Amino acid sequence: MDRRNFFKIVSTASAGVAATSCGKKEALIPLLVPEHQIAPGEEQWHPSVCTECSAGCGVIVRVMEGERIVERNGQKFRERIASIKKIEGNPLDPVSSGALCARGQAAVQSLYNPDRVRGPMHRTGDRGKAAFSSMSWDDGIAAITKAISATDKSKVVFLTTAPAGSRLAGIQRFLQSIGAPAAYTSSLADFSIERQAAQAVFGWTGMPDYHVSQARYVLGVGADFLGGWVSPVYYGGQFGRFRQGRLGIRGKLVQAESRMSLTAASADEWLPVRPGFEPHLLVAVGRLLLEEKLARAAEQLPPGVTESILGADLQQLIRSTGVDPNVLRRVARELGESEAPLVIGGASVIHSNSFQAIVASHYLNIMLGNVGRRGGPQAPHPASDVAAANPNVVEALKAAQVVFLDGENPVYTLPPSSGVAAALASKTIISFGSFIDDSAAYADVILPSHHPLEAEAAVVAMVGGPATSVAVATPFVRPLYDTRPLEQTLGDIARKLNVAFEPVTAKSFVQPLLPNGETWDNVALRGGLWLEGEANAQPLKPVSKNMQWSDPTFSGDALQFPLQFQPYLSVQYHDGRGANLPWMQELPDPASSAMWGLPVEIDPKTATKLNVATGDWVRVESANGKLDAPAYVHPAALPGVVSMAIGEGHTHYGRYASGRGANPISILAPAQETSTGVLAFGATRVRVARLEQRPSELIQFSPQDREQGPWGHR
Amino acid sequence: MSNSEHRWGMAIDLDRCTGCQACVTACHAENNLPLSDPESAAKGRAVHWIRVDRYYEGEFPNIRVKHVPVLCQQCDEAPCEPVCPVYATYHNEEGLNVQVYNRCVGTRYCGNNCPYSVRFFNWFDPVWPSPLELQHNPDVSIRMGGVMEKCTFCIQRIKRSKDDAAAESRPLKDGDVKPACVQSCPAEAMVFGDLNDPGSKVSQLAESGRATRLLEELGTKPKVFYLQKAT
Repeated sequence: MDRRNFFKIVSTASAGVAATSCGKKEALIPLLVPEHQIAPGEEQWHPSVCTECSAGCGVIVRVMEGERIVERNGQKFRERIASIKKIEGNPLDPVSSGALCARGQAAVQSLYNPDRVRGPMHRTGDRGKAAFSSMSWDDGIAAITKAISATDKSKVVFLTTAPAGSRLAGIQRFLQSIGAPAAYTSSLADFSIERQAAQAVFGWTGMPDYHVSQARYVLGVGADFLGGWVSPVYYGGQFGRFRQGRLGIRGKLVQAESRMSLTAASADEWLPVRPGFEPHLLVAVGRLLLEEKLARAAEQLPPGVTESILGADLQQLIRSTGVDPNVLRRVARELGESEAPLVIGGASVIHSNSFQAIVASHYLNIMLGNVGRRGGPQAPHPASDVAAANPNVVEALKAAQVVFLDGENPVYTLPPSSGVAAALASKTIISFGSFIDDSAAYADVILPSHHPLEAEAAVVAMVGGPATSVAVATPFVRPLYDTRPLEQTLGDIARKLNVAFEPVTAKSFVQPLLPNGETWDNVALRGGLWLEGEANAQPLKPVSKNMQWSDPTFSGDALQFPLQFQPYLSVQYHDGRGANLPWMQELPDPASSAMWGLPVEIDPKTATKLNVATGDWVRVESANGKLDAPAYVHPAALPGVVSMAIGEGHTHYGRYASGRGANPISILAPAQETSTGVLAFGATRVRVARLEQRPSELIQFSPQDREQGPWGHR
Repeated sequence: MSNSEHRWGMAIDLDRCTGCQACVTACHAENNLPLSDPESAAKGRAVHWIRVDRYYEGEFPNIRVKHVPVLCQQCDEAPCEPVCPVYATYHNEEGLNVQVYNRCVGTRYCGNNCPYSVRFFNWFDPVWPSPLELQHNPDVSIRMGGVMEKCTFCIQRIKRSKDDAAAESRPLKDGDVKPACVQSCPAEAMVFGDLNDPGSKVSQLAESGRATRLLEELGTKPKVFYLQKAT
């Protein structure tokens, strides 16, 4: 559906003439679709929010007739239901602009996944074995209430992946009412380092937003913004306009990354920086800009920062990055001379010093004078902050007595070397998830929430700031199973505990943000509240006024473990939660074209040395564990750097993910990013050896990665 | 070439494409593509009507990657058409290579003759563990075992757009029709439209100096134009 049609539908519907006749898609109703209103062949479009990641894309959902078999009193009946056919971006939403990434579109397969939890369950076998049998909601809530009453409230741990918005606000309010500590996250994809760096340099709360489309020259460092970083949808749109959306202007992208990511592949130039030397590269560029008088706003730098940059040993810095000095000098000059330069710093792979890299990228933008300007980093909306990351999540879990899991899967996203499984051994664990995943397998009680496509929500966009951008979902299909909205479950628990608790609804969340003349009904109808302007722009309140950089540290002896290991966030699996979607399993991996399993990416030189060819199986071993996986000899991998996308290797996560492939996190050392304490998942050394056996084939959709003859035939 | 009103074509701007594969999933959702499993995929039986090929050029560190989304090129001189013994694959009046599933007897000659490898054979009946089938698009028929399938340029979406325009008594405008892949693309790298309309965006892009076609030298006259990266 395009913008014009969607506008038209919204305007007709809001004028109150939404008819259901004449077979046209005029009905866009933020209400539950009653069965008698489903006509075969007629489509309806409903606004919703994608929650496959935290970016907060507004979507529209195509609903048509469907049929399911239900059993009543031992007899089978056909039941006609409104079913979801397709998810597209909401053309009114500034994050998605009408488009949507592969995983967002596959969310419908999470809704209709054959392995969804169909009702409340309690554990009947050993922890981690995923043996459950069903129970009633009343019993489930009674069990939880009993556990909470018996425990010291400071020992309640609530882990959530909820994006900024009504769900998170409701959770925090619930925890506050019962006197428990605030919820936090253990996800690998919360971009906590990016948030903390923005806080330190600009005093901003949330993710800075980069207006790539208005920049002319972009230097990306460490942030795979077209791939597994913040939002490939938002930045993909920005990138398209950056390249070919302006008459006579074509933006140039130079990407410095230690992996050939999607962003590096799309860039005009890729600077293969050695892992963990991103801060050095950025400081070197800063130094070159200052030296060549190309830092147009050098005076805005805190004096301490200027001093430390000028005090750096330039030769040494450049040498350490592994990038050709002449290339780096030219890039710095081009960046400084550009009309609209922009530096995007991020940590798609987290090294021990990633915080320093992002801080340095912010100082580069300050000296280039683009902060808060067109084509520069913009302040996020203050409401866009998510649950804080807790660097000591395992310690917190160890000390906890009651653990709530809402979307979080710490057993998967934290390395076993951190002791996470042992920490969960003797707690009362409650999962609100729709699936029995690696961590829910440890739960005592599973009280499944409605699927996001069945529930209401208000989600504050992670990007698109400083304007107000809240995508809103109101339920439009009947829940398929015996699930309940999380707000209701929390309300029931609070009532049993005799605690006053007012659940946060999408409406109550949005209402305070409404400007004069705007109504909730209109917001629900359009699927969001989007306000132009910078009324909410956060002022600059820098915390830090100096800059440091240090060499990265890697866990493991360099002689025994000569290679560096980089797990990374992929477009198909994100932090692993996309692995139960069959469309994502069969989506060819962008790097290797692998389906139904992920390979280890090894550079050609190392592969030759190890006598490894694509498809051979290798053992990747660190001081903390080992994994076996097929190899993909990646023509653009850095020599000595082994990479692997995160996503496979779930012990439990439904039929499509369980027991498939290997989890790269499972062999990591519990190394921390020095400044923030966040898991540095790119700071482990490994060794690789070829295995004689091939337990299974590396399945590639397009095995050829070089043109052969006129065109590479498959 | 026929004198029909429309002649559908596509332009793909490789300068915008990021290789994110949103188009691949969009196609699955729209067209009820059969679900693969590891066993069938290992035998080369996974089906993606559109794929993103990646080509590495040069050697590290001076290596570049080219992402090329490849779908049925809807050739004007389609090699798949003349080899079908039962006329299951034919050229319709709007220039599409159409596959009539009911007519197909599964000789696979068409797939064998396609230089772009974009035709797929259903070796078995497709299976969707319940309730995944609730997602099926009722506008598109499910293909059973023994039948060849391929990209249709989302002919059902073309039809819907035509019906919508007719219901409003107006002619179809440029941009009204968007196949699922085009609709989903975050970078707006894909443009679909009528090559008979010289004012359409796709016609103009096809005339651009950056426009090339895949394996043009074979004389297949594809209607998908690739705009090469500007450098």
